[in-house]
Formats: sequence, C-alpha cells, structure tokens
Amino acid sequence: MEANVRKMTALYMFVSGIAILLMMVLGLLMLLAQGKMIPLGQDTFYEMMTAHGTFMVGAAAFAASAVMWYFLRQYVRLSFPIFVTHFVLFLTGAVMTAISIFVFRFAGAWTFLYPLPAMSAGMWGKTGASLYLIGMLLIGVSFLLLYLDTSRAIIREYGSLGHGLGWPQILGKVKGYGPPPTVVASTMVSIVNLVSLTVGASVLVMSLINLFQPSIEMDPLLAKNLIYAFGHIFANSVIYMGVIVVYEILPKYTNRPWKSYKIFLIAWNMSTLFTIIVYPHHLLMDFVMPKWMLIIGQVFSYLNGLPVLVVTAFGALMIVYRSGIEWDMASSFIFLSMFGWVAGVIPAIADATIVINHVMHNTKWVPGHFHMYMGVGAVSMLFGFMYYFIRGNERKIGYADMVSFWVYTVFFLSLCGTFLLSGKVSAPRRWAVHFPEWVPYDRMGAVFAVVIIAAVTVFLYRFFVSVIIVQAKQNIEVGPRA
Amino acid sequence: MSGKRYAVGGAFFMAILVLPPVLRWMESSMIGVMLGQIPVLVVAGWLFGFALPRRFIEWLNCWNENGLPGLLLAISVLTFWLLPRSVDASLNEPLLRLAKWMMLPLLVGMPLSLSWKRLHPIARGIVHTNAISMLVVMGWLYLSVPVRVCNSYLLSQQNALGRMMIALAIVLAAFWSLRLFVATTPNEPTTR
Repeated sequence: MEANVRKMTALYMFVSGIAILLMMVLGLLMLLAQGKMIPLGQDTFYEMMTAHGTFMVGAAAFAASAVMWYFLRQYVRLSFPIFVTHFVLFLTGAVMTAISIFVFRFAGAWTFLYPLPAMSAGMWGKTGASLYLIGMLLIGVSFLLLYLDTSRAIIREYGSLGHGLGWPQILGKVKGYGPPPTVVASTMVSIVNLVSLTVGASVLVMSLINLFQPSIEMDPLLAKNLIYAFGHIFANSVIYMGVIVVYEILPKYTNRPWKSYKIFLIAWNMSTLFTIIVYPHHLLMDFVMPKWMLIIGQVFSYLNGLPVLVVTAFGALMIVYRSGIEWDMASSFIFLSMFGWVAGVIPAIADATIVINHVMHNTKWVPGHFHMYMGVGAVSMLFGFMYYFIRGNERKIGYADMVSFWVYTVFFLSLCGTFLLSGKVSAPRRWAVHFPEWVPYDRMGAVFAVVIIAAVTVFLYRFFVSVIIVQAKQNIEVGPRA
Repeated sequence: MSGKRYAVGGAFFMAILVLPPVLRWMESSMIGVMLGQIPVLVVAGWLFGFALPRRFIEWLNCWNENGLPGLLLAISVLTFWLLPRSVDASLNEPLLRLAKWMMLPLLVGMPLSLSWKRLHPIARGIVHTNAISMLVVMGWLYLSVPVRVCNSYLLSQQNALGRMMIALAIVLAAFWSLRLFVATTPNEPTTR
C-alpha cells in the first residue's frame, strides 16, 4: 500500500508540475504577444489566457490536494480509492476543458462570466462552451469527493469538524494542544471548499441551462457573486493546503515540534470564516452591489490572510531560529514560500481598499499580486514538497538545482515586479494588444519568464529522474494511522 | 419503536394528506404540492420502510449493494414526479394521481429508508451537497423561466416556489453544516 501511495502521489506531482510548466510557456507566449515580439492572433491570446488561468489554479490545487492527502493520512484513515478517483476524474475534466479551449476555441476566461459562454460573438459555439462548463463540473466533483472523504475521516477520528479546528481547546474544555496543524489546516480547507464547490456546481449548471436555453436568463450580478464565491475560495485554498508542507517539513528539519497552541487555533478558525465571506473584494467595482457587502469585502480582506499568515510566518521564523537547520532544496523552498506568501499579500491588501481598487483592479497590478502569492508562495511549497519527496537521493541534487532555485527566486520576483509596474502605468489586464508605453514591461517580463521556465524545467527533470526512472526505494515516514 | 408503530405513522401521514380539506389546500398551490405533498409522501414511505419484516429486508438487501441501487431507484422516480408535466398529470388524471400516491411512498421513501444507512458516508455527502446545489438551480429556474411550466398554476406561484426552494437550500445547508460541527464519539485522537 505504501508503495502505491507513493507512486500515486508522485504521479499527482508530476502531472501537476508538467501542467504548470506548460502554462508558464503559455504565459510567456502571451507576454511576447503583448510585447509585440511575436504575432499571436487575438483569439488565440484569449484562448491561451483562458487555459493559463484555468489550469494554473487547477494544477496547483490538484498538487496541493495531493500534499494534503499525503500528510493528513498520518493522522486519519483516508480512502485510497477516493484518492485515485480524484486523480482520474480531475484528468477527465481537465482533458475536456483543454479540448474546449484548443479544439473548440472557447476563450471566455476561467471566470466564464454570464452571459459570455452563450454570447461569444461567433468566436466559439455551444460545443466549446458546454465542454468547458462540463469539464469544470467534473473537476469540481473530483475535488468534492476528496473533501467529503477528508471531512468524513476527520469527523471519525476527532468527533466533529469543530474538534478538528480545536474548539475544545479554544473554549478551554480540554487542556493542552489541539489536533496536529495538518489536521487543523485540512479541516479548514475541507469546510471552505465544500462551500465553494457546492456554489460552483450551482452556477455551472445554471450557465449550462442558459447556454442551451438563452431565454432562461440569470441575474448577471448574482452569477458574478456565485462565480467569485466559488473561484475565490477555491483558489485561496491552494495556499492553505500547501502550508501543510511547512507544518510537516520544518519540524523534521529543525527537530522542533510545531504545536497547535491556542492562538494558532484561533487564527485558523478566523481564516475559515473570513475565507468564505471575503470574496466580495472581487466585486468592489460593481457599484450595484449592496454597500454592506463591499464593506465586508474591504474589511475582511485586511483580516483574512493575516491570522494564519502571521502565526505561520512567525512560527516558521521561531522554529528555524538557531535550530541549525540544514538548508537544502526542500527547506529553502519552504522558507521562500513564506516570503512569497507574506510579500504577495501586500498588493492584495492594497487592492482590497475600495478607493485604490477603483483605480488598480483592472490593471496588471492584480496579476502582480497573485503571481507573487501563487508563484513564489504556493508553488514554492509544492516544489519544496517535491524535493522533500525525493529526499534520500541527495547525491543527485547538485549545483544546478541550487542555482535554479536562486534563479527562480530572483526572476520570479522580477516578473512580479514588471506586472506591478505595468499596473502603475495603467496597463489593463486581460488585454491582448498593448499601447507602446506598456510594451517595455511586457518584454522584460517575457525575458524573465524564459529564465523561470528553464529553472522549473530543472526542478521537474530532477523530480522525474529521481522518482520515475531511479525509483529511489526509501521508506517514507509514516504516522500511527498510515 | 416497533415496526407496527412506524407503519401506523406512515399511514397516518398519508391519511392526513388524503383528507379533502388538506388535499385541496395542498394542491391549490405549487408550493403545497412540491414542498408539502411530495415530501410528506416520501416521509410516509420512509416510515413504512422501518415496518418491513427483518427477513424481507435481508432478502431485499441482496439487490441493494451499499444502498446504491435503492438510492438510484428513489432519485429516478422522484425526478419523474418533479417534472412539471407529471405534476400537471397527477392533478388532472386519476390514474396518474393514484400512481403518484403509490410510487412516491413505495419507490422513493421506502428505498431511501432501506438504503440510507447502507450508503457510504461519502455517498451521503454527495446526496447532501447535490441536493443543496440543485435546489438552488431549480429555484432559479422557477424564478427565471418566462412561461408557466405547469398548466395548473400561475406564474406568480411558480416564482413563489422558486423563492421557497432557494430558502430551503439555505436552511438545509445550514442544518447539515451545523451537524458536521456537533461532536460524535471520536476514535482516540492522534496527537503529536
């Protein structure tokens, strides 16, 4: 069984890694096109943009769910068949989505905002739009199965989701530490994603009905609310799954435990609630939104990431300080991810301020935020896990990896810098054609992207060689329930 | 509680439904039929399921692996009786009315009661999440469809049903979510 788990986890990481690399290439092509360095049709640009947005978040969430599953099974009994089913269903949905984009030319962006799927102005037909929506529905079902299983297992082991979040410890009914941080994080992610996927299923089916029967219309504002309630929570959960790597790996590297103390538990409880209700910060420009929702969007955006971020970043610094930690690829990536998370949140908090949002939200400032947050934060956690996974094969890991790590760090931050600067000069996001004033930033970004892609290729090559070809047979650390 | 009491309970619900004033009141509105009569008929069947002899249940279980066949049967039959065409027919044609009154307890409620405990918790979770999301979709449909879908009811009743379905989805979501936070007896928790 352990060998199967290991193989399956490796497969998850490899598939996700390849998808992320391919999407980086699409990102490069889009920058080259915006920088007028290659001729790329506008229709092709928007197809690539749709694929880039959909599969970057999808692949990162897919890999992060494997990370969560891999570590959570140490504490609760998870179902391996569900892990396999999640893999198969996700890939089926992803293939359908890819076909809808690259064969049937769907280019309505990952947001599939109403009424775009049904009103393409001749760019794509019903087949493309329905394949995209059904593919997304299948991907959602695959994640739903996984989170139902994690919820079931946590309830069985700890009694309830409240216990998984450490309520007895917070309320003082039970003394001592709460459940392991991995359980707390997994409980939070299961709760928020069960909400997001249920909402997502509703709006996807509504969009499908509207596609085939346009006389049945949606309220566009309701549709946008549902889509962002689904999309925001789901994308946000990637980092909360990824952070499990930090909680699991740093204690092993430093020989210091990471306990669920009261403040830690309170922080995760606050983030559970805030992550669900904070999505209106995507609709701050929609003046017809109820005012109280916009206020929630702003105020809770300030509060949302901070509790968990602060306890995790502070905890990471404390656990590493004077620990004599061994700085290898895994620990370096973990530490980088903390920086990416902290730094990536800052432009988001700025953008969540209504008066700033009205100026900045439709500029490349926002991609600047989420590329830093996801690329340097969440994806670094995943690369850190990949290197941790192939630990014991250190002889194969050499200078090329360390150089690639620093290259990735420096150039990814630079790429984010070009996005943020593009925002400063008012370059709009999601535009295929740019004015000459915006082009220098696109070209700089394209150069940085080439280097980043080279570095990621090294990471994936190392992972592939170590896991698939060499198949290093090492005993993985297993917990009492594995 | 003995099987007989469950059977009496089920029969009581059906008897109440069939009383002329109750029947007229329920069928005078779309909400009454869709969110009153149909669910109560299913609940009656659910209670009948507990009244079945143990040996008969064991025999039925041979064809009800993990409760999935029973669940599929119940969902298929329920879906048919939720169709606007079926709602109209059950109000206007005596034979179809009889079929509805037989099928909802016997082929929806009873299979559900025989299958629910046998279902894997993940399957039950799927039923819950799907019920919530599809209630919202149905509610939206009844609010958005520009024409009357049932000849027997006005557009205003259709819209009222849509609002009620969305409200019901919110209530069910809150109820089922709260249940997940109520403590059951855990296994010995694993700590570090």
